[in-house]
Amino acid sequence: MQCKIPAIGIASSNIVHYATGYNFKYNNGMPIRYVSVPFPFTGQPRAVDVGYVTGKDMLTGQPLMTAVINALTSPLTAEEKISGAPPEEAVEPRFLSPDSEDNLRRLFDDKEWTDFNSIILPTEKRVTAMLKGTSHKPDEVIKTINITGGARQLTVEKVAINAVMAGASPEHFPVILALATQAPFGNSTSSMANMVVVSGPIRNRLKFNCGTNAMGPYNRSNAVVGRAFTLMSKTAGDLRNDVNAWETLGNTMQYNNMCYGENEEALPEGWDPLHVEMGFKPTDSVLTVGTGWSSIASVGASQSIYPTHFLMRDYMSSFCASGSAATIVMDPTVAGLLKDVHGFKTKAQLSEWFSQNVTKTNASYWGNGVIQSTAVPFALQGLEPYASWRKLPDDALIKPFTNPKAIHVVVAGGKVQTMWFVTDFGIRRGVLIDDWA
Amino acid sequence: MKPQFFAVFLLGTLMLMPAALSSRGSPKYPQQAASAKPAPGASASAKETVPFPQVPRITGEEVERLAKDKGNVVLVDTDDSEAYAAEHIKGAVNIAYDPTVDAREQDQSLSALPGDRLIVFYCNCPHEEDSAPMVLEMWELGYDHDKVKALKGGLTRWEQLHYPLAGTDVDTAQEKGN
Repeated sequence: MQCKIPAIGIASSNIVHYATGYNFKYNNGMPIRYVSVPFPFTGQPRAVDVGYVTGKDMLTGQPLMTAVINALTSPLTAEEKISGAPPEEAVEPRFLSPDSEDNLRRLFDDKEWTDFNSIILPTEKRVTAMLKGTSHKPDEVIKTINITGGARQLTVEKVAINAVMAGASPEHFPVILALATQAPFGNSTSSMANMVVVSGPIRNRLKFNCGTNAMGPYNRSNAVVGRAFTLMSKTAGDLRNDVNAWETLGNTMQYNNMCYGENEEALPEGWDPLHVEMGFKPTDSVLTVGTGWSSIASVGASQSIYPTHFLMRDYMSSFCASGSAATIVMDPTVAGLLKDVHGFKTKAQLSEWFSQNVTKTNASYWGNGVIQSTAVPFALQGLEPYASWRKLPDDALIKPFTNPKAIHVVVAGGKVQTMWFVTDFGIRRGVLIDDWA
Repeated sequence: MKPQFFAVFLLGTLMLMPAALSSRGSPKYPQQAASAKPAPGASASAKETVPFPQVPRITGEEVERLAKDKGNVVLVDTDDSEAYAAEHIKGAVNIAYDPTVDAREQDQSLSALPGDRLIVFYCNCPHEEDSAPMVLEMWELGYDHDKVKALKGGLTRWEQLHYPLAGTDVDTAQEKGN
């Protein structure tokens, strides 16, 4: 909508350089002027925020309100009058010039085309071999990825390059292509992470680890597929540190993206595999990606004095419950206990129980930044239950996991310990790997 | 012979998203257009295409009836916040659809919508060009296919039916009427 009203942006000092340094004018059709305030402003006493407003603009040093008025009223500069399509960026050749291995590795690092672990250099021969792992044509576009200032087409060949770099074999390629449909991974100041779950017959064909050390660095398929997601996300998503990747802490889970297979063979009777719960056939090979922030471990064996699902419930109450999302990863022995001792005949029953029994205080729920940005607008627009929750006292207990279908259960591990993780990962619908063979 | 090394990404592939992509499909569900029945009296050449035919539509009459009977319909306006503030279906919430941004960027908001009620997305566009992609994204998030639909004809059709509206434009019109 064009209101024809002058507008400026007020950005905090931690990210204003991103706003002023990038060619946003081509995204927005007009230049945007910024003034800047110190960071953080969220979570601060009101007096501090008032001080920011009465203080100085971090960019010009002028009093903030003077800077605001100047930005709104001063004539456009010659540069700010630029309009139309942005200039094309310099074209790089499809092939790099031959060079020494050391120099090429340095080049890849300098361009942030790696995760700064060693890569397999993507020679023409290796990429051609990787492409034999699929029937899809090299120039087929898997998806168009919006990046700052434009868009990129992620093709089968480009995924093959990343697959080679990650150390994958052509047999892994269909899995990595399915994963490419979900690239890039999340890029948020809140430092998100991802989870990649492989389901169906391909787990066994490619020897994905679903048992002991399923989430540890002990298996090639888990390692290379998980890493390929990182490399694809960085290259296709154009993610560069402190330029447009600004996760304040980052997340070490992004190195491998928690890639593992479900131990479907060890599921208790009546508990369906993750992909079957999503409507796929048991014989389908499916890749599922989740996104979240946190993981809390049981830290030790289950105890008879306090049922396992009670402890899971307690730990889950510390999650923000954004989108009702949670994913519980448990050893088959825990799944067995939950079914045989506590009577959860299906995963869905357990999810429903969590939805009904995880509680947290109203103040704690609204005290989360993601909830503030997602649920508060809904509450103000009258959507239940958020509208009613906003009127409750701070110490009132609410049930924040309102949607049991967003609470997923995955069984993995080697029956070595009655151990589990509860995570706040939200899981998207799976992708059929067989489509990419 | 020295091996050739691929550059990982060719910067020359950068391009702007043209404005014409305002009804771009999600990667998993490319925008498959199907011929729609022409309106009565329209010539065959006036045939229009229906974007995202796989997305189920629901009529305004049906939404109104369900809302009155059970009150368990959530309406989601996909226009930008200014347009929403000016006029929207009474009781609707706002999650703006931006075709130039990956739909997943709205996932935190979309997944906050309740899973136990019918969710109806609508836009101010003739063939659900902006609301249908949101339905697809809801499916990706795991919502039941039969619980997320697009309002056929969108806001325009709702207005034609004289069903309840809200927003600053509506308030202004009422004040003038008074």
